[in-house]
Order: sequence, then C-alpha cells, then structure tokens
Amino acid sequence: MAAVFKPQANIAAKLTLLCLAALVLGGIGWWWGYPRTNYRRQEFWTVQQPVPFSHEHHVNGLGIDCRFCHTSVATSSSAGLPPTYTCMTCHSQIWTNAAILAPVRDSLANDTPIHWHRVYDLPDYVFFNHSIHIAKGIGCASCHGEVNHMPLTYKAVSLEMTFCIDCHQNPGPRMRPRSEIYNMDWARDAMTPSPKALMAEYNVRAGGRLLDCSTCHR
Amino acid sequence: MSASRQWRSLAELENDPAFIEHAIQEFPSLREALAAPQKRRRVLRLLAAALATGGLAGCYAGEPGGHLIPAVRNPPNIIPGLPNRYATAHVLGGHALGTVVTHQMGRPIKVEGNPYHPSSLGATDPYAQAEVLGFYDPDRAMLISNNGTAASRQALLAALVSAQGVIAATSGAGFRILTGATSSPTTERLMARILAAYPEARWHVWEPVNRDNAMRGTALAYGKPMDVVARLDAADIILGLDSDLLGGAPGWVRYARDFASRRNPTRTKTMSRIYAAEPSPTLLGSIADHRFVAGPAEMAAAVTALAGAVLHGTSTEAPRWVGPVAADLKAHHGRAFIHAGPGQPAETHALVAAMNEALGGRGATYDVIDPLLAPAASLDALIADMQAGHVSTLLMIDTNPVFTALGTHDFAAALRAVKFSVALAKAPDETAALATWTVPMAHDWETWGDARGHDGTATIMQPMALPLYDGMSAAEIITRFIGETPGTDLATVQDTWRDQFGTSFDTAWRQALVDGVVAGTASTPSDVALSGSAGAITPPAPPAGLRLLFRPDPRLHDGRYANNPWLQELPEPLTKLTWDNPLLISPDLARRIKLRAGDKVNLRTSAGAITMAVWVQPGQAPDVMLAWVGNGRHVTGAVGTDIGWDVYPLTGGDGSATIEKAKGSVELASTDHHNLLDYGTATVDTIVRHASLDEFAKNPRFAKEAPTPELYWRKPPGPVAWAMSVDLNSCIGCNACVIACQAENNVPTVGKEEVLREREMHWLRIDRYYEGTPEAPDSFFQPMLCMHCEKAPCELVCPVGATVHDSEGLNVMVYNRCVGTRFCSNNCPYKVRRFNFFDFAGEDNRPAVSWNPDVSVRARGVMEKCSYCLQRISEARITADKENRRVHPQEVVTACQAACPTQAFTFGDVAQPASDVAKRKASPLDYALLEDQHTHPRTTYEALVRNPNPAIKEALG
Repeated sequence: MAAVFKPQANIAAKLTLLCLAALVLGGIGWWWGYPRTNYRRQEFWTVQQPVPFSHEHHVNGLGIDCRFCHTSVATSSSAGLPPTYTCMTCHSQIWTNAAILAPVRDSLANDTPIHWHRVYDLPDYVFFNHSIHIAKGIGCASCHGEVNHMPLTYKAVSLEMTFCIDCHQNPGPRMRPRSEIYNMDWARDAMTPSPKALMAEYNVRAGGRLLDCSTCHR
Repeated sequence: MSASRQWRSLAELENDPAFIEHAIQEFPSLREALAAPQKRRRVLRLLAAALATGGLAGCYAGEPGGHLIPAVRNPPNIIPGLPNRYATAHVLGGHALGTVVTHQMGRPIKVEGNPYHPSSLGATDPYAQAEVLGFYDPDRAMLISNNGTAASRQALLAALVSAQGVIAATSGAGFRILTGATSSPTTERLMARILAAYPEARWHVWEPVNRDNAMRGTALAYGKPMDVVARLDAADIILGLDSDLLGGAPGWVRYARDFASRRNPTRTKTMSRIYAAEPSPTLLGSIADHRFVAGPAEMAAAVTALAGAVLHGTSTEAPRWVGPVAADLKAHHGRAFIHAGPGQPAETHALVAAMNEALGGRGATYDVIDPLLAPAASLDALIADMQAGHVSTLLMIDTNPVFTALGTHDFAAALRAVKFSVALAKAPDETAALATWTVPMAHDWETWGDARGHDGTATIMQPMALPLYDGMSAAEIITRFIGETPGTDLATVQDTWRDQFGTSFDTAWRQALVDGVVAGTASTPSDVALSGSAGAITPPAPPAGLRLLFRPDPRLHDGRYANNPWLQELPEPLTKLTWDNPLLISPDLARRIKLRAGDKVNLRTSAGAITMAVWVQPGQAPDVMLAWVGNGRHVTGAVGTDIGWDVYPLTGGDGSATIEKAKGSVELASTDHHNLLDYGTATVDTIVRHASLDEFAKNPRFAKEAPTPELYWRKPPGPVAWAMSVDLNSCIGCNACVIACQAENNVPTVGKEEVLREREMHWLRIDRYYEGTPEAPDSFFQPMLCMHCEKAPCELVCPVGATVHDSEGLNVMVYNRCVGTRFCSNNCPYKVRRFNFFDFAGEDNRPAVSWNPDVSVRARGVMEKCSYCLQRISEARITADKENRRVHPQEVVTACQAACPTQAFTFGDVAQPASDVAKRKASPLDYALLEDQHTHPRTTYEALVRNPNPAIKEALG
C-alpha cells in the first residue's frame, strides 16, 4: 500500500504548526501591545476641530493665561470650556472676517453652541478634580503637555491608570511652586524647592490616601 | 435586656415549613433558578457562551471622543462641576415642607430639607425626596387636548376666551372651580378676585386625604375650625388615638424631630412616654411605649371613658388601660398632649380638644391657630350642582376627583354632563381623560408660587428649571378666566407680597428667596376659648361587626405618586410591601376565614365591591380591615397604570363591609423575609437590642457584649476614620432615608417581578422586627446599610479585588473591577450588598440628566452597596485639602442623615473626639450588630430604650 503522506507532507505539517504558533504568539502580542499603541490610546493624535484653534498662538503668541478661558480650573472639578462670548471678546474686534472663525460668529449669531471634539476623555467611573491638583502644585503641563507648542491640540499623555498611579505614588517630583502652575515652559531648576519641601508645604503625603481606590473611583 | 424571639414575618413566627426551607438555604434567591433543571450540555454551552461574550464585552473600552459643548453665553453662577442650591418647598395637601434643591449645571438632581423652615428643620419626607423623579417623569402631561385629540395652544386660548365671555355675561352662574386644598396666599388672592368678578361662581376644594373630621371637631370644641400645632419636645406624655402624628399629619417631619429629642435617655433628662391606641398599626404606635389595639367600637368606648376620667374625674372599668393612662396624663399637667388621627370622628376630635385644654398643655405642648387651608365649598355640593345641571363650566386645577371621589359619588357621570370642563393636570389622569379640555400643568419646579408650612410660615417657591414641557400654571389659567392677559407668574406672586413687604420690597423678596421662608409669617396662637359644652360630647358608637377603614397609601399618598417608581418600589414601613396595596386583615380574621397573605377575597361595602388580595397585618384589631387608597390607577403613566387595586369605589359607605374568600391568589412583593440575618441562630434575637428605662437605669450598658477571642485584626491606618451611629431610639421607620439614598446614589428600581426574586437594589433598607404575639406585637425598626466592617468578610472572598478597604476605613466597591461572582454578597453577614442582575439602571425610564453626575451609574453584572456617600466625602475632603486643613467633624453629611426627620443617623470622623459620631459611639447604648462575627463594623447602633408605665402592666394583668 502506498504511503498516505508523501515526504512533502512533513514540510506542510511543520509549516502549519509554525503558523499556528506564530498566530498564537502574534495574538498574544497584539493583545498585549495594541492597547499600548499611541493609535489605540489616541496619544499625540491631532483632533480635528470645527475651528482650528491654536493654543500655540494664543498662549505663546499672545500670552493669554490658561484661566482666561478655562475659568473654573482652580475652583471646580471641571476646568471649564470658554463660551462663545469669551472668543468674541476679542474676535468681535480682530479677525472679524476671518473665514476660519465663521463657526464662532455663527454660534453667536444663531445662539447655537460650538461642538468641540474631545481630546481628553476619562472613563465615566473616574472622577478627576482639576482644582485639587492645581491647589497641590501640579502644573497644567504635567497632564496636558506643552500645550503652548500645539498648533492643534492633541492628547499628550496616555491617561492609562498607571499614569495617574505613578504620580500618586510619588507626587513630589511632579510638583511645582504654585506660581508656576500655569507656566507651560517651567522646568525644575536649582532654585526650585525640593520635592520633599513642596510636599510638606502643600501638605501632601505620598501613598496611603492618594492610592486608595476611593480617591478616584466612586 | 430582654431576649425574646424576634421575627419579621408571620411565616417566620409560625415556623412555616416552606419559609424554613427558604430561609435556611445559603442562596434563597437561587431556589427558583435551580428549580428548573437544565441539561448538562446546555449548561456547558451557556457557560462557554457567557465566557466568550463576557471576554468580548471586556475588550470594549467605550467610544472615545464625543463632544464638548460650551454655552454660547455662560448662565450666571453656573460652574460645571459645582452644585447650586435653591430654596423652595414641597407642597402636599396644601401644606409646605421647606426644601433646598441641589442643581448640577442647572439641572435639579437632589432634594434636601431647608434648615430654616419650621416644618422641615433640614429634614424631608419620602415624597419630597422622590420629587426629582416626578419632575423628570417622561409620562408627565405635555399635550393640550380637546375631547381626546391634540389641540393647539391658540385653540385652547380661543376656547377660554369664549368661555370667559359666557361667564362674564352671566356673572359666573354655572361657573365652578375645583382645586385641591391650598394654603397659597397667591391662589387665595386670585380666587378672591375671580369670585369678586363673578359673584355667582363658586370655588370647591377636594382633597381625598383630608382632615375634615379634625376641622369639624375643633369647630365643635372652639366654635370655629382651628388647626392644632403640636410641640412634642415639651410633651412628657403623648397619647395618640389612631394618630398619624408621625408620618402623615401636617408638620410631621418637624414633629418627628421634636419627638426624637426626648427619646434617648443618654441625651435627654426626662424621657417622654408615648401611648398609642389604634385599630391598625401606625408609625406612632410602632414606636410607642404602650400600644393598645382598639377597633372602632373599643376606641369610641375608650375615648368616652378617657374623657370622663380626664374631664370629670370619673373612674372607668373598660378598657382597662384607660385608667392608668388617664392618671398618667393628669399627673403630667401642662406637659401632656393627646392627638387623634383624621380617621376618628369629629366628636372624638372635639373631646380630644377639650381634654387637651383640661390637661393644661395649651401654649406649652400645643398651640391653636387659625386654619391654614383656604376655606371653600365641598365636593359634595359641587356634585349635587352638577347633577342638577347647574354647572356649565368647570375648571379643575391639579385635582383628580374621577379617581379619588368617594365611591358613593359618581363624579365621572356628573362630569360628562358638564358642557365645558377644563382639567389643568400635571400628569395624565382619570379626570383629565374625561374633561373637554386637558391642559398640561406647569410643575412646581417650573413656576413661581407660595405655600404655608404647618405653623403658617410662608415660603415663596421659585422655579428650579425652565419648563420641560409647555405647561400652564394655575395662576395663569385663573387669570385667563378672570378675563385678563396674564403677566408672568413671578409678577403674580410678587403682587401678593407687595403690601406685606412694603417699601423695602426688593430686599425682603430676595431674603425670602434666599432663606426659603418669609420671616415672621408664622401664625400667632389664637386665644379662642373652648366652648363650655365640648366636654359633654359623646363620640358615636359604631355598630359591631367587621369594619373597613381607609387610609392613604403610605407610599403613594392619595394616588398622585403612583407613577413614581421609587415610591412604588419603596417597602411600606410595616408590611414591607412594594408595588401593591392588598387589604390588611387581622391575624384573627385570617384564621377565621382561612386566609393567607396573597389570597384573593371579595370585598363589598354599600358603595361598591372589589376582588383584591389580602395581607395579614400583625397588631391589627380583630374586626378591622384596612384598605390603602391610591394604588390601582386606571389612567396615569407607564409605571403606575393598573398596579394594585383601586379601592376608592368602596369609600363613602358607613364603614361596614363583608368579606369572603375568592378563588386564586397573587404573589405579593413584600421584602419582609428578604436579607434575613443569621436565620435560626441564637444571635438572631439580639439584632435589635432593647430594654425598659428601669432596666437601663440598673444597667446602662445592657446592650454591650463581652468580647470574645479573635485571631487577628488590622485596623485601617487612618488618620481619618469614617463611621456612623444609628440611634434606634429615634428611628420611626418613615423611609425618608431610603428614598434619599436612592436619589443620591443613582440606585435603580427593578420592578415587582425582580423584587419577588429578592433583587431589590436599595442600598439602605429598614428592617422591621416584631416581638410577641401576632395579635399585639412590639415592633422595632432598624436601618440596615453597609456596615463598613474593619475586618470585612466580603473583601476576603473577592477574587478580583473589586471590594477593598481604603485607608480611612471605607469598604469601597471598584465597579470596573467587579466581574459579578457575588461571593461578597454571600459572605456578607448583614446582607447589604446588591447585584445588578440586569441592566436595571439602563432600563430605568428617566432622562440622563436626572442622575447624580458625581456617582457612577452601575452596569449589569456589577455588585454595589452603600458607600457612606463617598462622593460627599470626596467633596468635603477636596475642599479641606485645598484649605490645608482636616475635614471638620460635621462637614460630611450623608444623604440618609440629611433626610432623616429624627436625626437617627450620625456620621463623621470617629477619630476626632469632638465629632458627634464619636460622642454617640461613646454612649453606653452603643452596640455592634453581630459582634460575635468579629467584623468590627464602623456602623453601630444605639440600643432602644422604652419607657413603659408599670401601672399599665398591673392594669392589664
């Protein structure tokens, strides 16, 4: 009786096994790696907006403070988004006919709000509070990156839980003097108080309370 | 401490085999599922499918992105993330309860009491709490309709103009207005104007849950109707005769606070003593030191005997308790108070007024004030006129007589005979369905108004939101009937107050809005004297035989809240029934005609007949049957239509009724046997620890247990230690906390089917225990919520670390970790964990904006439980952290604590000795529930002390 499998079948079998192994390994790799990609995290991804608003121009170019638009950042959980009126304080005087500002003018004229696209989005079970971070010496740039160098805004950090936990475990190095919170270009220098000194000054204890689940989830 | 058997349901007391089989199971609610056998292969297939789909669902992290939509122009004072609070009032039966409504981004999401309002003092009742859902009810009236077809506002206004023309031409002959009871100065002013414009017109008032008997009684006693305002904090002895003093009477929320201030022997010098005589248990009777079961006949005899003893000094034989009670009342001259409920006849109220005068409490334990509710003609007179064909135009404002009129009246038929009727209704109802014109009414939160509290204090009610639907206010429609173009409701209300506020109108107006009360508007006590003949009145003796009594539904009032799922699913304080309103019968009657809970009966009165289910109510007088009116709505929203039984058709007779067993039975969703603690063990009888005042004097620490050895105990590090103390001396079981918790914490409702499967979601429940015989048991209330054990059994068994401890001692749920094994719930000795078997929150028919944005809305398959209002702790903690200080001892107030009329809950940082909770936990009465389990709960209880009168025991033998 002739052999059922010819010698070539060995190669086919080996190849199949190899492919299967590669598929499994690849699958695991995908499962592990994909959530860590910038693509999945939408990190460094410029988000298209109805008006191509440039933080770079308004912050670096014009020197407008963050709080001019994000008014409740130091008092509320939400930093707040500027109403159309805030835009029009200046743009009723300058660039009054600029085509890219048409949606802003339409918003005011028709009393319809501008629908901005979210750049930073936390899951609903995370309760983040801007004001406490401001009060404890965390600068805007710590989470939002160098917004003053973003012609179009993008997400600068992953916002994975590990990002939050890293800081909550050891907040000192990321803390800064309160006067520098809104300074996007600030960097620690020799004159800066030590992390330990800042933590003492702002009454922040690492670990413990800061690492409780209930601090952010409720 | 007495250690007699504590039981929750009659089945438990009787050791019903079916009940025992249910109770001893480790997973009682699983029985139904296990009863249906599944094929092994099918089970494996389902398991595999669950695993696969569960894994897939876990991969879905939600849609990223979405929109951020800032306003075009920021509304003033609204900052995203920060709440706003505005004072208003919740009006029920014409009486106002001052409230403060919390808004997020301009949306009302939570009701609290107004500390400045004398009827509230910061607390609320369940109805006020549930108003959030009432406001967002998607079934609210939103369409103008003419004879059942939608019509335009222009058509309505044209119809009103032509109707007004006819009315004006005939100076109001044939024009009638029907409203609910009101104390609103603005409504009274408008009514006075319309009646002045049309001298022939009449204003009628119908309030199905009324105090007409009390008014007629005080009219007999004082010569004119008067209101009585109690001051329970000054009363050493309180006697309630079928009384609704706690849980119904105007101002009961305030009364509950005053009552509680005299009930904890560690905090009050002299404890008050409460007597209650009643045909069926009330909240006052349930917490009374002595409760006497008295059917209508015995009650009439008792009142006569009591009046004889108190007024004339005659001694009395029957009933035997009257003698010692009368002696006790007289011995506390000037510090005693008697209260009769609205179900008692006018003569009894007159005698009670005479007795109160004789006991010298006037000015101390109670005051008499002029009636708060505006006087108007009765519904009887209106129906007579309608039947006689004298009514051509009928305006009905926020009233539902087709459903609520006495069964002896046929209001529907009378209404059909009226040519032009307009119903201004907040929600679709039976009356609006029959009216010529139906006009959606603006909710109290959408318009301006005013109302007076139980002591006369006025509140100006400001709108809480822009109208959700195009509703019309009562003021507007009345003004249109006057024939004027209505101004804004703001202007109408301001006109009412302009004279009173005088020259400094703007300041006074603003202050009234800020405070939620108009200063100095409380009624001055009247000096009206008792008429000489009041003491000689005798209450009518009801005939012997079965009596049928009617009471408002403890959850739905007169039926107006029937479409509110929170209230429908709220376990009634005593029976713990949800969703239904069976006939309450006595254990004796149940034995006589062989009825069990859920059995159907044919019930017949002279007014009508109905087939409905029964519930056996321990402590009810043998020949008394009690029916709750309000459920069984025929026309309302999707939630409340055809739930329970409509017993209004039986009302209006002489109180006699016949009952016979009918075929069949229904399953009633009572939670009285759900979440049993340690059934069948010795500890079960020490759940509610209680003693008499004498026993307490001998051994103040009677509730303490000797510590037993344990293996290890690691305390949460702190430095803050959140903890709660619940005072059982205060709890009256009123359920305000349950709804407050539900509103604050986004607790979903599940529906009757799921309640029957023991899947109700309330984070906070009130367990009701009985001791003694079913005929006359002692009853006890115990609020149960997560104990936040320092050594929590739930945490040990969670395979995914979804329930863990935080450093401040909170036992927290991390919803996004939970995979739904339910091990934690099974290992919880207190049975306070709740599982989302389905997407209950998603199925709740309410708009997204009505949820509390500071609390996660839980998904299917997730365990949840009381978090000690973690969102409120977080808010306080962040505020304190920003100011670099510790959270103040009383800074965090949980939702249940804020709502509680009696301040039974105390919450705070027990690590600070100055905190209230630390002081309460230092009380000798403090005890931990199931202490032998070594869970070290952060929630502890203050044991109950009652103040019985030794003479009663002697008299009753």
